[in-house]
Amino acid sequence: MKKLAFLLALASLSFAVDYDPIRGEMLSLSCANCHGTDGKSTTSIPKIAGLDKNYMYQTLLEYKTGKRVDTHMMQKHTKGFTDEELEQLSYYFSKVK
Amino acid sequence: MINRRDFGKLVLGATALSFTACNSLASGLSTIPANKKRVVIVGGGFGGAATARYLRKFDSDVEIVLVEQNKEYYTCPFSNAVIAGMEKIDFIKHDLNTLAKKYNIKVVYAKVTKVDGANSNVILENGEKISYTRAVVSPGIDFKYEKGYTKENEKYAPHAVKAGEQTTILQKQLENMKDGGTFVMVAPADPFRCPPGPYERISLVAHYIKNNKPNSKIIVLDQKDKFSKQALFSNGWKELYGDLIDWRAAQFGGKVISVDPVKKVIVTEDEEIEADVLNYIPNQKASQLAFDSGLVANGKDWCDIHPKTFESKLVKNVHVIGDASNAAPMPKSAFSASTQGKVVALQIARILKQQEPLNPPKLANTCYSLLNPNYGISIAAVYNALDDKIQNVDGAGGVSPEQDPDGHIRILEAKYAYAWYESQTSDIFK
Ligand SMILES: Cc1cc2nc3c(=O)[nH]c(=O)nc-3n(C[C@H](O)[C@H](O)[C@H](O)COP(=O)(O)OP(=O)(O)OC[C@H]3O[C@@H](n4cnc5c(N)ncnc54)[C@H](O)[C@@H]3O)c2cc1C
Repeated sequence: MKKLAFLLALASLSFAVDYDPIRGEMLSLSCANCHGTDGKSTTSIPKIAGLDKNYMYQTLLEYKTGKRVDTHMMQKHTKGFTDEELEQLSYYFSKVK
Repeated sequence: MINRRDFGKLVLGATALSFTACNSLASGLSTIPANKKRVVIVGGGFGGAATARYLRKFDSDVEIVLVEQNKEYYTCPFSNAVIAGMEKIDFIKHDLNTLAKKYNIKVVYAKVTKVDGANSNVILENGEKISYTRAVVSPGIDFKYEKGYTKENEKYAPHAVKAGEQTTILQKQLENMKDGGTFVMVAPADPFRCPPGPYERISLVAHYIKNNKPNSKIIVLDQKDKFSKQALFSNGWKELYGDLIDWRAAQFGGKVISVDPVKKVIVTEDEEIEADVLNYIPNQKASQLAFDSGLVANGKDWCDIHPKTFESKLVKNVHVIGDASNAAPMPKSAFSASTQGKVVALQIARILKQQEPLNPPKLANTCYSLLNPNYGISIAAVYNALDDKIQNVDGAGGVSPEQDPDGHIRILEAKYAYAWYESQTSDIFK
């Protein structure tokens, strides 16, 4: 049941923006400092390259709203981005080869 | 036909030629071929190396020349762990070899004496000139030598805020200090390189002293009244080290009037203090190169920039990033410097292709500090670089939670401190 609700929530996420790879890349530049170049982390900080864009966007929103908590680091960062910017980021990392 | 004598002349000529080629640090770079664009980057630290690496990512054609005075780069991040004996000096050693080989960046090892904006070239110590289409300057900081602290006597009371030799000197002094000795740090006035840096250092020195020289004491004479992550540091100090660390705000006895680094005596407004080890961190300003290149306005200490592109407000086509720039409210950190370098690389790649710079670029900072090997705290912020200023994004950022009843967050943040260091250095040097 829980899983279904989650899937429904995902399905209702509409990607309002057109993907702009250059903006996506610009927004990603600070992420690389911890998550590795293009998100290809080799450390204990999670790898984010190639994540499904819906999943990543959902996760980033959950950090932003405080629904999901890590050491609070991701919450501090996601709050600095508009929802639209988080969408661009999710697109960008989903497309990284 | 070449006779024996001519042959000898030829060989001699060839030797002489290759000798000049070796002596020439920047041979062939005094002009730019008509069909080429060249970006010259000064400084191969966190800012400069990030710019080089990412400019190549954004532009496969542009010629990139990176000028750095040292063959090895020792990072300040984790230098405090070296001072406290937790890591060896090689842990913080990096070089530019991968950038040169893998990313086709021409690395020139030389000291730059001036970036000559009027003639668009970078002048090396031996007089050679390297022409640029655009230049990026990331030379870091220099010190305000005052109150008795000089370049010549700094080794007696090492600042250790340029890592390498200074790190090793301070580490050795701490190692040789008698049990029962007094370790004194003079912490600088704002703004300075790495706002939490001195306090991380004091934490790790306390960790070392607690385990190795438990009868010693630590005094911090601060040239200001508050500091970064103060509540987190103070609470952590109490929890881990009791009253070992005696921190004195400027207004309550911290203010230093004069110092004798050789005798290790500090005179404050109230008293004279004799140290066994004196870690004197002077007040700071942009690197001398920035002053010599006209990048600092009269009466100022740092380079003013146009936030969107980090282009100097004083010299066209020259971008200043990292600690030398006035990018407040961004702190002077490795994270800031490398983020700025990457954003500037993207903007320069666009400018060179006649495209508008992106607007507004987004910047961020994260700094982890260790209070002991398993106790980490952090600070973060996100910024928009608007036309006239860099602005904190409201509601974003902040420090680690004050309460961590089961210690879980502090342990995880200590792990992340190490992981960040590995990611950050790999991202720009490998
Ligand atoms: C103790 C300590 C701990 C720190 N910990 C952290 C941390 O955990 N996280 C963090 O984000 N930041 C940390 N920092 C801050 C960080 O070290 C600096 O902010 C960062 O190094 C700034 O990068 P930069 O490129 O501006 O300068 P630098 O890293 O200083 O690089 C400048 C380079 O330019 C070269 N150069 C200078 N002048 C010339 C010249 N005339 N010709 C040729 N080459 C030249 C230098 O040799 C050097 O390699 C710490 C600092 C200290 C002191």
